[in-house]
Amino acid sequence: MAKHVPTANGTEMTGATSLVKSLEAAGVDVMFGLPGGAILPAYDPIYDSTIRHILVRHEQGAGHAATGYAQVTGRAGVCIATSGPGATNLVTPLMDAAMDSVPLVAITGQVPSAAIGTDAFQEADIRGITMPFTKHNYLVTNPDEIPGVIAEAFHIATTGRPGPVLVDIAKDALQKMTKYNWPTSIKLAGYNPKTTPDAQAITDAAALIAQSSKPVFYVGGGVIKANAHAELRQLVELLGGPVVTTLMARGAFPDSHPLHMGMPGMHGTVAAVTALQKADLLITLGARFDDRVTGKLSTFAPNAKILHADIDPAEIGKNRHADVAVVGDVKETIAALIPALKAALAKNKPDLTAWLRQMNSLKSTYPLGFDTPDDGSLSPQLVIQRLGQISGTDTIFTAGVGQHQMWASQFISYEHPRTWLNSGGAGTMGYGVPAAMGAKVGAPDSTVWAIDGDGCFQMTNQELVTCALNNIPIKVAIINNESLGMVRQWQTLFYDSRYSNTSLESKRVPNFPMLAESMGCVGLSCERPEDLDKTIEKAMSINDQPVVVDFRVHRDAMVWPMVAAGTSNDEIMIARATAPDWDSQEL
Amino acid sequence: MTTSRRQHTLEVLVENEPGVLARVAGLFSRRAFNIETLNVGPTEDSSISKMIIGVAVEGHSLEQVIAQLDKLVSVISIKDVTPKAKEVHDTQPDYQN
Ligand SMILES: Cc1ncc(C[n+]2csc(CCOP(=O)(O)OP(=O)(O)O)c2C)c(N)n1
Ligand SMILES: [Mg+2]
Repeated sequence: MAKHVPTANGTEMTGATSLVKSLEAAGVDVMFGLPGGAILPAYDPIYDSTIRHILVRHEQGAGHAATGYAQVTGRAGVCIATSGPGATNLVTPLMDAAMDSVPLVAITGQVPSAAIGTDAFQEADIRGITMPFTKHNYLVTNPDEIPGVIAEAFHIATTGRPGPVLVDIAKDALQKMTKYNWPTSIKLAGYNPKTTPDAQAITDAAALIAQSSKPVFYVGGGVIKANAHAELRQLVELLGGPVVTTLMARGAFPDSHPLHMGMPGMHGTVAAVTALQKADLLITLGARFDDRVTGKLSTFAPNAKILHADIDPAEIGKNRHADVAVVGDVKETIAALIPALKAALAKNKPDLTAWLRQMNSLKSTYPLGFDTPDDGSLSPQLVIQRLGQISGTDTIFTAGVGQHQMWASQFISYEHPRTWLNSGGAGTMGYGVPAAMGAKVGAPDSTVWAIDGDGCFQMTNQELVTCALNNIPIKVAIINNESLGMVRQWQTLFYDSRYSNTSLESKRVPNFPMLAESMGCVGLSCERPEDLDKTIEKAMSINDQPVVVDFRVHRDAMVWPMVAAGTSNDEIMIARATAPDWDSQEL
Repeated sequence: MTTSRRQHTLEVLVENEPGVLARVAGLFSRRAFNIETLNVGPTEDSSISKMIIGVAVEGHSLEQVIAQLDKLVSVISIKDVTPKAKEVHDTQPDYQN
C-alpha cells in the first residue's frame, strides 16, 4: 500500500477530495462501501486514494464488516453508502454498533442541499433516522466543514464509550471547491468523556471489595474495548474471587482459568448465574446490567452490593443502584484499583475459601454439556466444540444470532480478547458473514470462522462474493438445523410445539455448497459424526479461497441452561422442566 | 386521584444547530421521559441556545434524565434551576385508573 502523504492545509480541491484526504488524515486504511449518485463525487478521488475500498454487495454488509474490523483491531471501522436506500441499508449495522459500543464512522451521500426537504429522488433524512442509535451524527452542506467534521467523527466514535457516528454530506458540498483544512485540535463544548477515575471512588471501591465475603467479578465487553484484560487478570488473582464474562466479554478472561465460572445470563452456566445470585458484592467492570444477564431485575443478585465501574456515567444506576460508582476508562480504573486493593487487603483479607468451594462445586456438578442424538445424526454442539478444538485458541470466531450463537459462546474455549465477535445487544441475524469479512481484513493472518445459522446465512451470504473477489478467505460453518432454531426452541417450550413459520427446509433448498461454489468459494458438506474432523481439517487446509461447510445437524437440539425471558435467574433450568438440585448444594 | 410530584426545571445549554431540538425531544420520547414544558430561546452567544425543560421526575429518574441528556454531544451544560420546594398538584381526574 502506498504511504499516505499528508496534504497541506489551504490546498484547493473539491469537497470530495477534501473528504478523502480527511479520511486518510484520520488514519483510515480500509473502508467498505457501495457507490450511487449522491456519493459518486467521492468515489472519484477514492479511485486514487491510499485507502483500500472494498466494494460490498449490500450496504448492510459494509456496516457489519466495518464493525468486525473495529472489533478485531480496536480502531474505527468505516463504511460508505449513497443517499436514500443506500443510507437506510446502513441502519441495522448502525443500531447494532450502538448496542455493542463499536467505534464506527459511516459516510453517506445526501441529495444536493437545494433539494433537501423536497422528497427528491433518493432523499432520506438519514440524520433524523439514525439519531436514536448514533453517538452523534452530522449533515454537512458546506464543503469547508468536511475536514473538521471528519476529525470530530473519529474522535467521538473512538473515545469515551465507543459508538457509531454518521456523516451525511450533500452532493453539492462534495462537488464544490474548498480549501482543505485539517484541524490541529478538536474542541467540543458538549463532549468531554471522563477517563481517569476519582481517587476517592477507587479507595471506596477497594474498601468495599475488602469487606466482602462472596464477591464476583461481573465482566462486560467494556474490558475488551479498553484493552484491560491483563489488568483484569492481575486484579482477579490478587483477590482470588470468581469471575463471570458476559456474551460481549467472552475472551476478556481466559476460559481455562480456574476462577472462571463461565458466562452468566439467559443461557449462562449454572455456576455463573448462581454466583451472581448468591454474591454479596458484584465487582462490575464495563458491564451494563442488561436484561439478558439480570433476568427479572427485581430478583437479580438480591443480596449483593454493587460496585459499578464504567466509562458511561449514564449506565451508573440505570438498571441497578450502585453502592460505589467509578466513572472512567476501565483499564485506568483497574490499574488504580490494584494498589488500592493491595493496601485494603493488607488490613483485612476476607477468607473466600467457603465461597469458592461452593462455586467450584456448582461448576463441577453442572458443567455445560449436550446429549448425543440416538439416531446417529450430527449434534450441532459437537460440531462447534470440534471447530474450536481443531482450529485453536488464536482463531477468531464470529456468529450469527440464534442457537448456534449461544452454542458458539458456550462450547468454544476463549482464551484471548477480540477472538469472539457477535451481535450481543441487537441480536442481528446476518451479522456473522460480513463481520467475519471485516475481521479477516483487520487480522489477515488469523484464521476467521463464521459460525452461522442456516437462517442467518440466508440474510447476508452475498458478501462471500466480496470475499472471493477481494482475497478475503474466511471460513463459514453453517449449522444447518433446517430451522429458525432459537425461535423453534421457544415454540417448543412456550407455544406447545406449534411450529408456526420456523421451518426453513434448508436441507432441501438452497443447496449451500452449490451456492458457495457459485460465489467463488469452496463448498463442503458434512452429515455424519465420523466425517466431522476430516471435514473441518479439509476446510482448515484451504487458505486461498473462502470455504463454506454445510453441517447438516440434528434439528431438535436445544440450548441449555436457560432462564426464560422475564423470569428470575433463580429459576434457571438445566434441561426441560429440570432445575439444578439445589438441596444437594451448600449455598 | 390527587398526586403530588415535584417538578424539576432544567436549564440546558445546547449548540445552536439544525436538528438540536429533535435530538433533545427524541431522547425524551425514546427513553420514556415526559416533558411537561419546553421553552427554547437564544443566548448572548449566537452559537448557543438555551432550553428550559420542565420534567416531573425525582431522584433516580431525574439523575437518569440528566445523565442521558448530558450524553448528547450537542448538549453543553445542564443545570437544575428548580425554584425551592415547588409542589405540583395534579388534581385532574385520572380516567386511566
Ligand atoms: C434480523 C432478525 N430477524 C429476526 C430475529 C429473531 N430471531 C432470533 S434467532 C432466530 C433464528 C435464527 O435462525 P438460524 O440462523 O437458523 O439460527 P439457529 O437458531 O437455527 O441456530 C430468529 C428468527 C433476529 N434476531 N434478527
Ligand atoms: Mg437454523
